[in-house]
Amino acid sequence: MEAFGVVLAAALAVGLPALATAWAQSRIGPAIAASMAEKPELSTTAILMIAIPETMVILGFVVSVLILFRGAA
Amino acid sequence: MIIEMARLRILGPRDRLGDVFDALQDLGVMHLAEPGAPAPGVSPVELTAAQRREQRQLRRALDHVDRALAGLGLRAGPASRAAPRATRNDFARWARLGWRMRRAVDRLATREAALQEERALILKYQQFFGAFRALLESQSRWPSATAYHVLLRGGETEALIRLRGSLRELIGDAFELYSQPLPSGEIALLIVVAAPAAPQVERILAQARVQEIPVPASYGGGALTEAIPRMLARLSDLPAELEALRRERARLGQDHGAELRRARASLADRLGELEALPLSAVTARAFVIEGWAPARTRPTIEQRLAAGFGDAVVVTEVGKEDWASEDAPVVLSNPRLFRPFELLIRLLPLPRYGTIDPTPFVAVFFPAFFGLMVGDIGYGLLLGVLALVLRRRSQPGSTLRSAAEIAGACAVFTVLAGALFGELFGDLGRRWLGLRPIAFNREEALIPFLILAVSLGAVHVVLGLALGVAANIRHHPRHALGRGMSLVMIIAIILALLAAVHVLPDALLTPAVIALLAAFPVLIVAEGVVAPIELLSTVGNVLSYARIMALGVASVMLAVVANRMVGAIGSVAVGVVFALLFHLVNFAIALFSPTIHALRLHYVEFFGKFYSPGGVRYQPFGHWTREATR
Repeated sequence: MEAFGVVLAAALAVGLPALATAWAQSRIGPAIAASMAEKPELSTTAILMIAIPETMVILGFVVSVLILFRGAA
Repeated sequence: MIIEMARLRILGPRDRLGDVFDALQDLGVMHLAEPGAPAPGVSPVELTAAQRREQRQLRRALDHVDRALAGLGLRAGPASRAAPRATRNDFARWARLGWRMRRAVDRLATREAALQEERALILKYQQFFGAFRALLESQSRWPSATAYHVLLRGGETEALIRLRGSLRELIGDAFELYSQPLPSGEIALLIVVAAPAAPQVERILAQARVQEIPVPASYGGGALTEAIPRMLARLSDLPAELEALRRERARLGQDHGAELRRARASLADRLGELEALPLSAVTARAFVIEGWAPARTRPTIEQRLAAGFGDAVVVTEVGKEDWASEDAPVVLSNPRLFRPFELLIRLLPLPRYGTIDPTPFVAVFFPAFFGLMVGDIGYGLLLGVLALVLRRRSQPGSTLRSAAEIAGACAVFTVLAGALFGELFGDLGRRWLGLRPIAFNREEALIPFLILAVSLGAVHVVLGLALGVAANIRHHPRHALGRGMSLVMIIAIILALLAAVHVLPDALLTPAVIALLAAFPVLIVAEGVVAPIELLSTVGNVLSYARIMALGVASVMLAVVANRMVGAIGSVAVGVVFALLFHLVNFAIALFSPTIHALRLHYVEFFGKFYSPGGVRYQPFGHWTREATR
């Protein structure tokens, strides 16, 4: 039961930020595409804007790894 | 680095202004600017009515020449330095040539479009005829009937049902409707109706908004069976006519291409001179031109003007205290090895003059981060091959060449990191070649990899803060002090953490905490109450480098999954195909995702500490080149 709890916690730690990232990118994507249609020089900003929400899922992944390691210890 | 610029002031007799502009255009190093504070009696040059007229005529002629060159499929290039300076007669001749050539290429383009359209139309009829050949050939048996040829888009079966219903409603059974799908996906309809019902059917077709294709009058109109042989004969003539047009275009290019290229360059040069003229100022007898040039080119400018004008024209340097550094144009100049990475800096607004050019740091850290994220000898070698192919296919100095060279550097670091982690297409090297990791195995040693990534982040962010101190120390000492205190506090936090987990001696913990407490009030004084928030975001910046570990682990796991497909799927051959496809997908992901994240780590985490955007692009007044247009 405890192992199940650890795995569930790890899954939630990466899954919830992944959903949040997906939601954020779904809003940013069309907005930045529309902006780039008018100002192509915004391509660098576009890269940054798309990459910024990914921090959430990356940190979630790190936390998930730490949870799994603590669970295994 | 950003090369040193000198603001130069050129003075001379007013009647030599045009000649001095010609000399400066030949030199091509001076970025012109409006003269500084106006003095009494000095006024900016205004173009005369004749010059404005000339400007309009030049623009029109340039447009004609550009369109003629584009129509002939020729690339414009700069004028030969050996060519004599163009005269007024030359410009008049080129204006006429441009107009004539533009009309000629427009005529050729119109004719070609008409022939292509005719070809497409005949091909459509050919398909139609093929679908109803037997029926159409028996058309002679219905002397009192009228035939309609209609095309429906693929999938418009409902329109067909509606059309059939409308016809039945209006004229009962006095019609025949045949439908056939065509190879193009469209549906061909042949509607045969009794001649008296023809006007009603035409009305129904118009209301249904279907595409009717009556036999064109140019092929005799009437029955399609009679027109088709004529159309097919015409179809066999069309390639020869198109070839004749191509030859005509090639001949025009051969006869006039060189002259058009010279005209393009000379017209643009003269236009550039007229546009630059208002940047100079004059008195009743003298002129003044000001602008920036790389400091090392000052002797060249002086020598060229002295050789051409003797003592009549004087070059002086405006003191640095008389101009604002943010107005000076920026030229990035880096060693050959670092130069391709200027491309990544140019994706952002240029750094201001007098600040730090981050190119050398990007050239070291960008491929290193990329390499750590991909970290596979196999993928590195593939990327290296891709970089070589791109390099071979690109022009020196082009964006593609820079991208290829950056990819080459990333490939080297990827191979090195692959050797460090013992990876060749995931765990394939380990299983087949007995490859062993030099540092650690990324599949298992997640925590060491995380520590490596965050440590690299700490080094990168600390370097950024140190550069922030260096960039601000002269002009914004308070800001530099704030950056310095952030630097001290980040180092103190790192030392305290390392001492707390017994990596460093425990004795370091107390001095690190004292340094932290001592630096905090100084930080508040220097940067204000928002400073603690900024400090927290800096700590967040360091943790953000954990993405190197996250992407690295994702990359190796995908590669391992690809390798396991060989055994997991029944047939070995199918498994190998799946594994190769999976590796291809992983390689494609490895090209994009690490690039975006390595860029983000630079632009947000690193540049945020010291980079001052807003530099003016260096645009020297010179002869026209394709690059200048870009």
